[in-house]
Amino acid sequence: MKIWSIALRSLRREWRGGELRIVALALTIATTAVVSVASFGDRLHQTLARQGSELLGADLVVHVQAPPKSDWIVRADELGLRHARVESFRSVVVAGEYTQLAEIKAVENGYPLRGILRIADSLESIDRPANGVPDPGEVWVDAQLLTQLHLNIGDSVDLGKQRFKITRLLTLEPDRGGVAFTMAPRLMLNLEDLPATGLVQPGSLVHYHWLVAGSEQQIQVFKDWMLARGLLDTDLRDASNAQPRFRVALDRGESFLLLATLVSVLLAGIAIARSVRHYAQRQWDNAAVMRCFGARQNEITAIYVTQLLVLALAVSLLGAALGFLGQQVFVNILSGLVAGELPLPTWRPVALGVAVGVITVIGFGLPPLLRLKDVPPLRVIRRDLGVLPVRARLVYGIAFISFAVLVIWTAKQIGLILWVLGGTVATILVLSGVSLILIRLLARSRASVHVSWRFGIAAIARHARSSTSQIVALGIGIMAILLLTMVRADLWEQWQISLPPDTPNHFLINIQPDQLSEVESFFEQQGLVSRPLTPIVRARLISINGRTVDPEDYRDGFARRQVQRAANLSWAEELQPDNKVVQGKWWSSEQFKDGLLSVELGYAEALGLKLGDELVYRIGDKELSVAVSNYRTVAWDSFRPNFFLLVPPDLLTEFPSSYITSLYLPREQNAKIREIIERFPNITDIDVDALLGQVRRVLNKVNTALQFIFVFTLGAGLVVLWAALTATRSERRKEIAVLRALGARSADLRLGLIAEFVVLGSLAGSVGAFAAAVTGWGLSKFLFELPYEANIVMWFVGVLLAVLLVVSASYLAIRADLKTPPWQSLRESD
Amino acid sequence: MREVNNALVEAQNLVKQVSSPEGTLTILDGVSLSIVAGEAVAVVGVSGSGKSTLLGLLAGLDTPTSGTVHLNGVDITELDEDGRAQVRADSVGFVFQSFQLLTSLTALENVMLPLELAGRSVPERDAKAELARVGLGERLHHYPSQLSGGEQQRVAIARAYVAKPRILFADEPTGNLDAQTSHHIVELLFSLNDEYNTTLVLVTHNPELGERCQRSFELEGGMLRGKA
Repeated sequence: MKIWSIALRSLRREWRGGELRIVALALTIATTAVVSVASFGDRLHQTLARQGSELLGADLVVHVQAPPKSDWIVRADELGLRHARVESFRSVVVAGEYTQLAEIKAVENGYPLRGILRIADSLESIDRPANGVPDPGEVWVDAQLLTQLHLNIGDSVDLGKQRFKITRLLTLEPDRGGVAFTMAPRLMLNLEDLPATGLVQPGSLVHYHWLVAGSEQQIQVFKDWMLARGLLDTDLRDASNAQPRFRVALDRGESFLLLATLVSVLLAGIAIARSVRHYAQRQWDNAAVMRCFGARQNEITAIYVTQLLVLALAVSLLGAALGFLGQQVFVNILSGLVAGELPLPTWRPVALGVAVGVITVIGFGLPPLLRLKDVPPLRVIRRDLGVLPVRARLVYGIAFISFAVLVIWTAKQIGLILWVLGGTVATILVLSGVSLILIRLLARSRASVHVSWRFGIAAIARHARSSTSQIVALGIGIMAILLLTMVRADLWEQWQISLPPDTPNHFLINIQPDQLSEVESFFEQQGLVSRPLTPIVRARLISINGRTVDPEDYRDGFARRQVQRAANLSWAEELQPDNKVVQGKWWSSEQFKDGLLSVELGYAEALGLKLGDELVYRIGDKELSVAVSNYRTVAWDSFRPNFFLLVPPDLLTEFPSSYITSLYLPREQNAKIREIIERFPNITDIDVDALLGQVRRVLNKVNTALQFIFVFTLGAGLVVLWAALTATRSERRKEIAVLRALGARSADLRLGLIAEFVVLGSLAGSVGAFAAAVTGWGLSKFLFELPYEANIVMWFVGVLLAVLLVVSASYLAIRADLKTPPWQSLRESD
Repeated sequence: MREVNNALVEAQNLVKQVSSPEGTLTILDGVSLSIVAGEAVAVVGVSGSGKSTLLGLLAGLDTPTSGTVHLNGVDITELDEDGRAQVRADSVGFVFQSFQLLTSLTALENVMLPLELAGRSVPERDAKAELARVGLGERLHHYPSQLSGGEQQRVAIARAYVAKPRILFADEPTGNLDAQTSHHIVELLFSLNDEYNTTLVLVTHNPELGERCQRSFELEGGMLRGKA
């Protein structure tokens, strides 16, 4: 009890000292950042868990490359199950002069079997549950499509050969689902209308979903019956494996954003370490007096640890409250990507925030406080007696371990953990090295500059280690901002420059075999240069070397996705110029009917395929067996139709196929695309420019979210600066007083201080720009394989930003010290 | 502005009060004194008698509650902080008990500082010469932390004299030094004082220092007891 009250009383008193306020500020920033991201993620996760069946719109979804067979329907009816068909695909929607690629969804009466479809009468009106599905001749669209086609409810749109009236606005589809990351806008029509559009032909890229609902027992019986009919587990989706891809993407996204916030936590830790060390030094006298009056060593420790923990808990709760507000910013930034109502966050993110706060404070702040018990009581007489500082290795060691705990907790995967820890340590070491070199170089030049500048440079050089930590902390914040703005823009621009001017910007898919000659002669008449028409057959991989394929066998996400869904097989007589065989042999004309398979190298590696492996595919209700005969590399950025999987030309003649081609069309000739679609309504145009525009919009939103996180990083960097200013405050006050005594005017003093902060800011800005440039270079060379040009403007922007931040923040922090009478400061320092 | 006799420093009725939890505390109570050019005077008294406060007021480092101080003919109590800084830059030097060197600057840079602040030309040459005079010509580029206490005080003395001030204030200049080093510092202080014909005002407990001065003011309870 005694310890508790001493700790709290002293916490109240020392709050005015400055260091504990810095600890509180640093911790507030760290926990706010973490809780913002975690509560946003928590809301998304809850939605996923709660909506299991609703997300599917059914209890069981049968997902195969064909409509349900009649015996399946008979069996479902026998069991008393409800069922409804859904077919979805991408197609162009035309409204007067506007066209838009949309996700078309044709639904049968009864849809959805679980969950609620919500609609509204206009963009302005409040939505309500829908009573059924669109009537024949009518379509429902989402707000995005309505806006992009410049339409209102009641207007008409063309889809394939048919014209439809828009009667409702779609606001929520359970199976889209309650939460989804969406790319293309939605149009929903009655399944009865689909044949008349002429959009779906044999071999078209269509997803067939058959929704089934009933009691748990009925569903299980039906599921077993279907499996006995040769369907695979992966063809049948229920609440337990609903939206696995989205769930994985969400986990990854959340983990990535949390890792980004850990940068702020690390910087906050540096500020805390610095402030607590200074605080502990100021407590030597108090500790000595308490020891003098009989306090035991462990009581001294208990008092200070209690103080620190009380502070950490209180501030983390405050940070959690602020983080709760902060997550709303994410909801706003990512609106449009995240559809539907989100439930309120649970207590989990708050617990995470408090845990991060306590771990950070203990890891970075505890060591110097533990030393206070060793202050000799004799210090009350001999003030020169103190304690040895804690060994640097121990301080850094404990800090590293606590940071590692946070990273392991967040990243979860061993590879990622090692990358993040290694990357963090390497970045800090390299940037510290660069800062030290810059400080040394600058220190040499100080003889030749004006006294104010010399004083500024000298102050930085004198405290080289502390200056380095400030420079690196701010530099990391600046780097993050530069990467997300300038480097990103540069890379995007470089990539666009790197594409040849006639790079195809349209893909035409779903071309039917009987349309080939007609399409080709149309292209010729219109003077369009297209790439060759390439066939596609949709096939599902079912076994490799006799062993049934199970997505669970693949740890690699790409491989898992490939085996979960139908693959596109194509055939070719000869190798395209942008393909190269790297192992095995391309087929000869005698082998055109043989069961051979050419696999793209990366695809083969992901699936662990070897030359000679036997793969069995199911196409419709037939099976096809092929042996891997060679590996290819593919230049994907040629924007020609290219395929992971190729077979000899005469192997697939009996299977339903469609064709694909790509062509380059200048913007002003877009009318020709409309002509193509009008003439061949079943053909779908994929506008690459528009698609890239959509990708870019999504990236921009994610980028804004990241920028929001890195504002915390910059804030934490400034707190490191404040911590250093607070720790050197008495020294600075003395220096100001001495300069005043020697006749310095206020203007001289201001100039001297501003010079110091300008130099510090320039160094931090340079280090940040350097780090951003190196990262940009690495990304472009190794990841995007683009030429990278150093952007000199970026350096100016980085330095200017850092100088403005450092000068204004520091000046605010020390302004009061300029006004203290010199005699008072000199007496205090004696 | 007015000339007050021949006095370089003239204080009239100086009162310094500070507020404390127990009420207003009077540290100096109506002190008047006059120091003429070229004099060396000591201010002595027991701890808490107000010696250092008086020095701070005479040098314009602090402002009195009431009363006036004329320094080199200028009423510094009428001036603002920058005005007082200008007077100090023009005609005042300081030596402190705890040296008060700027830790981030080398010995040479510390000594150059007053010259640069006063906008003098070739500060480096003069500063080097002054450091050589105090016997530190070989330690120009050492930082304060690399020098002994006596050496630091010699740098401080070089810094105080380098701008050739008309008046030098010293606050317990030997207070932090051992007896032998103190003796050397006292010698140095007075030899330079003679050489430059500076007016010296020092606060001290050191009897040797007091004896070397021509006059002593003794403070007791914030008031002057008598003049020697």
